[in-house]
Amino acid sequence: MSQFDAIVVGGGVNGLIAGTLLGRRGKNVCIIEKSDRFGGMASYSVDGGPTLAHSLYNLSPRALGDIGIGIQHPVLSSKPVSTVSLSEDGRHIVFKNDGVYWSDGTKHRESDAWSDLTRQLITYGDLLRQLAEAPPPGGQKAILSRGALNEFLRLAKLGIDLKKLGKSEMRRFLQVVLSNVHDIILDDLSEGPVAGMLAADAIWGTATGPRSPGTVFNLIYRLGHGGTITQPAGGMCALTDLMVEAAQKAGCLLMPDTEVSRILLDNDAVSGVETTDGRTIAAPNVLSSLAPKLTSRMTGPSAFDIETMRRVRNIRARGTTAKVNLRLKDSSALPSLSDELAHERLIYAPSVEYVEAAFNPAKYGQMSKAPVIEAFKMQTADGASWLSTIVQYAPSDLEGGWTETAKEQLAEIAVETLSRALPGLGDQIAGKQVITPDKIESATGAPGGHWHHAEMSLDQLLTLRPTNGMSRYSMGPKGLFQCGAATHPGGDVMGLAGRNAALAALEALP
Amino acid sequence: MTVDNRYDVIVAGAGHNGLTAAAYLARAGMRVLVVEKNDWIGGAAVSRSLHEGWTYSNCSYVCSLLRREIARDLELPKYGLQVIPYEGGASFTRDGDYFAYYSDHNALKREMARHSEKDADAYRRYSQAIMRQCRFIRPFLLRDAPDPASLHPRDFGELAYLVKKAHGLGSRELGETLKFWTMSIGDFLDEHFENDLIKAHLAGSGIIGTGLGVYSPGTAYVLLHHYMGDIDGGIGAWGFARGGMGAISNAIAASFKEHGGTIHTGSGVEKILSKDGRVEGVALEDGKVFYAPVVASNMDIKRTVLHHIDAAELPDDFTKAVRNFKIRGSSAKLNIALDRFPNFPAAPEHTSFLRGDLHVSQSLLELEKAYDDWKVGRWSEKPYIDMLIPSQIDPTMAPTGAHMMTVFVQYAPYDLEVDGVKSAENWDEKQRNAMAETVLDQMSVACPDIRERVVHMEVRSPLEIEREVGLTEGNIFQGELTFDQLFFNRPVPGWSQYNLPIKGLYLCGSSAHPGGGVMGAPGANAARAILRKETRHGRMKGYAA
Repeated sequence: MSQFDAIVVGGGVNGLIAGTLLGRRGKNVCIIEKSDRFGGMASYSVDGGPTLAHSLYNLSPRALGDIGIGIQHPVLSSKPVSTVSLSEDGRHIVFKNDGVYWSDGTKHRESDAWSDLTRQLITYGDLLRQLAEAPPPGGQKAILSRGALNEFLRLAKLGIDLKKLGKSEMRRFLQVVLSNVHDIILDDLSEGPVAGMLAADAIWGTATGPRSPGTVFNLIYRLGHGGTITQPAGGMCALTDLMVEAAQKAGCLLMPDTEVSRILLDNDAVSGVETTDGRTIAAPNVLSSLAPKLTSRMTGPSAFDIETMRRVRNIRARGTTAKVNLRLKDSSALPSLSDELAHERLIYAPSVEYVEAAFNPAKYGQMSKAPVIEAFKMQTADGASWLSTIVQYAPSDLEGGWTETAKEQLAEIAVETLSRALPGLGDQIAGKQVITPDKIESATGAPGGHWHHAEMSLDQLLTLRPTNGMSRYSMGPKGLFQCGAATHPGGDVMGLAGRNAALAALEALP
Repeated sequence: MTVDNRYDVIVAGAGHNGLTAAAYLARAGMRVLVVEKNDWIGGAAVSRSLHEGWTYSNCSYVCSLLRREIARDLELPKYGLQVIPYEGGASFTRDGDYFAYYSDHNALKREMARHSEKDADAYRRYSQAIMRQCRFIRPFLLRDAPDPASLHPRDFGELAYLVKKAHGLGSRELGETLKFWTMSIGDFLDEHFENDLIKAHLAGSGIIGTGLGVYSPGTAYVLLHHYMGDIDGGIGAWGFARGGMGAISNAIAASFKEHGGTIHTGSGVEKILSKDGRVEGVALEDGKVFYAPVVASNMDIKRTVLHHIDAAELPDDFTKAVRNFKIRGSSAKLNIALDRFPNFPAAPEHTSFLRGDLHVSQSLLELEKAYDDWKVGRWSEKPYIDMLIPSQIDPTMAPTGAHMMTVFVQYAPYDLEVDGVKSAENWDEKQRNAMAETVLDQMSVACPDIRERVVHMEVRSPLEIEREVGLTEGNIFQGELTFDQLFFNRPVPGWSQYNLPIKGLYLCGSSAHPGGGVMGAPGANAARAILRKETRHGRMKGYAA
């Protein structure tokens, strides 16, 4: 007799949500995490520095609600931040809810065009969220079953909502959704930092440039929950702590510092897991929040047919994003920025072409010499002041590997790039942390250090996510599910993948 | 107003699609006039003698996509069209080797195994996948694209046909199809093959004519767009039209004239006349005016709408959508008269593969880099070239012993960057020659003596293609083949069924579904739309109906 109904392998955001949801529905669940801290990329940090993920923009209220966390929780109710597109001439551009402003408070002439485009994309995001909040359409079901009926109703609702957009909006949606951001942005806005900021928001974490078809989808995805950006009170760890608490409340057994070495199979059905320290934990169901490739390694390839293994091998996940944390000498304001702006989200992406040019070297295994950067000024628990930056592009397969020299070079590039808009920044820096994709991979298991475990390209979305024939969360042997970012709808600190997977598992659970 | 200047239909532009539409309409008993700005017909499917004794196919250069339904309906063989399939092709390496592509399956497998045993095994799965996709897409080429926002029974019917076809694939195959359509040719090849040269050879068709790189999503579809044709039922086979590509246009024109059609060359359309939202005819550059209740434009959508129609006659959002239509010049062309056959040191003697398409790209990354050059407004330092010597098969193209060579060059931007300024005006003779030198350098990888062989060379930048043929930016497809501009999005959402916001005005060129290539499908589809909407018993007869 198994002690557990289900084991969740990997305690990242999706793993925690999947486990908690099952726990709240009366299942006996254990969540196993190899590191000493839960939360995966959301809470991973080096020596108490800023965490890998440093802001929230896509967290699903629905996923949170399902694990009993209200969206009004104090940790989540901090004030939304604005975005500042940094400019070399010191005339920065501030994106607020109601429009675009110069840093001196005057309205930018492209404010309305930006607002219109953003509003339109948010509308599309609303539509697509319906798809994100359920398993993707398709799959084999008896035509008259409840599942099939539900799916039909969901699709019908989507169809009606699409129609409700009106003829011309619906047509535009069908055109835009598969397009590239370079064209969509420059159709309505002139080249420059306003356009650059939008282009940057379409490519974070992906191995694509603004000219790549499909990037509009990425931008819509990012705006899928309204596009508001916040930082949880107390940092990202406060959020993951909250999730851990919810898991415990739901009766889940949390096992940190435990690494699963094998998923045990008995007669083509899951029977439990074996840990690296030799323990066996029995359960008829396993939900793995790891990427499919790692999961299949744990079961062994014989659990899958040859076609499936080929598809799993071909899932593309090439991380292109590095984290560079700059420790500041004191907590004084950043050069050339007012105190108020210094606490907003800072972006360095002066134009769409700049973003595209930054992408070029990444294709050939080189880091950008002029990267796109997102930065947040923040304080860590120990009171130290940091500039937490995301540097795009720094490919996981860097030519020559991520040696100490290469890392040092990346940090210098980041500082140099930011200094162009924030002159004198270099003098304020007391220390640097460089977290490259290979490090992200070894720390969190994400293949290639990719944010989403699998590239968010059109051929790896919806029914094709993570790959054809695997989109319904179950995978191979009976009782094996995947619940990580590689599954529909994808990563970010969103939680829907874990939630959907848990619901799919519940359907199959006795 | 005399009887002579009144017609049932006027087709603006004598490209192969315009002629195809005209020929179908003439066969249906309408009085049709085709007007053409050049002194010759054919648009981009043209043969021209620019150096005495040599005939150049100086725009499009090979034939495969021409729908056989159209060839049969218009009886093109009867009017002189002969298409001769060519065998294989090759990619040459910088160190004196080559990868040959044979049409014979066993020979190809042996050749692949010479480069990689694994790839030889993978080829079968690869070609199966491609064939499946070709078979899936072909029925849609001669049908209208449905408007998903419309509740019209016809749209609904077409949509239902699509759903039925897609459902018929089964869920596994449907998944593979969706994946194929949305992925890049680079990723698709990486999934199958390991050898750089083989991948580079196969990738070429995925980028020809587009402003995309081999790793841009959607290029797998572009590859398909080049593969879905056939010659004598051999899917994906390519051939030469005897007498050059102009033979195709000439055969269609002959078929058209035999059924009472008139062609007026030497003066282009100045203005498409309309009144109260209804088309009335065309005014030509030479001052002549012709009247007809129906006008079909073979020009691309941008040219048609932005240059030849009064903006006041059109809704603003439509004009805006047309202005945002992407039509990017990305290719150039060299047409070369050779004094004798160039020496290909790597190739064995008397091999058949030299009769096919020859390339020198070494890897997918080299192709991707070529794209990066184009993005900033320069021609590629190491361009993708597609060279063919049709005179080996077709003796009408060059004097005995001499040869004609056509070299397609990807990428060359329309707005060329010189000293920080991007403009098409920068394409002067100096720049053209500099580009030609780059291309000749690249060609020397395959045939080092190429420079000594040249008797005459025509260098065509996107600007020349635009000026002569009329294709905006010199884009060979009259508009990018990207998702946002295909099927019901082509040319612009809501106007995918050949008619335009002015009553009686139609689009019959490659800007319309299913897009570019010497295919004839937009022309035939437009003719069908015209017959259905403008005549009382308007059903088109024939295989393409």
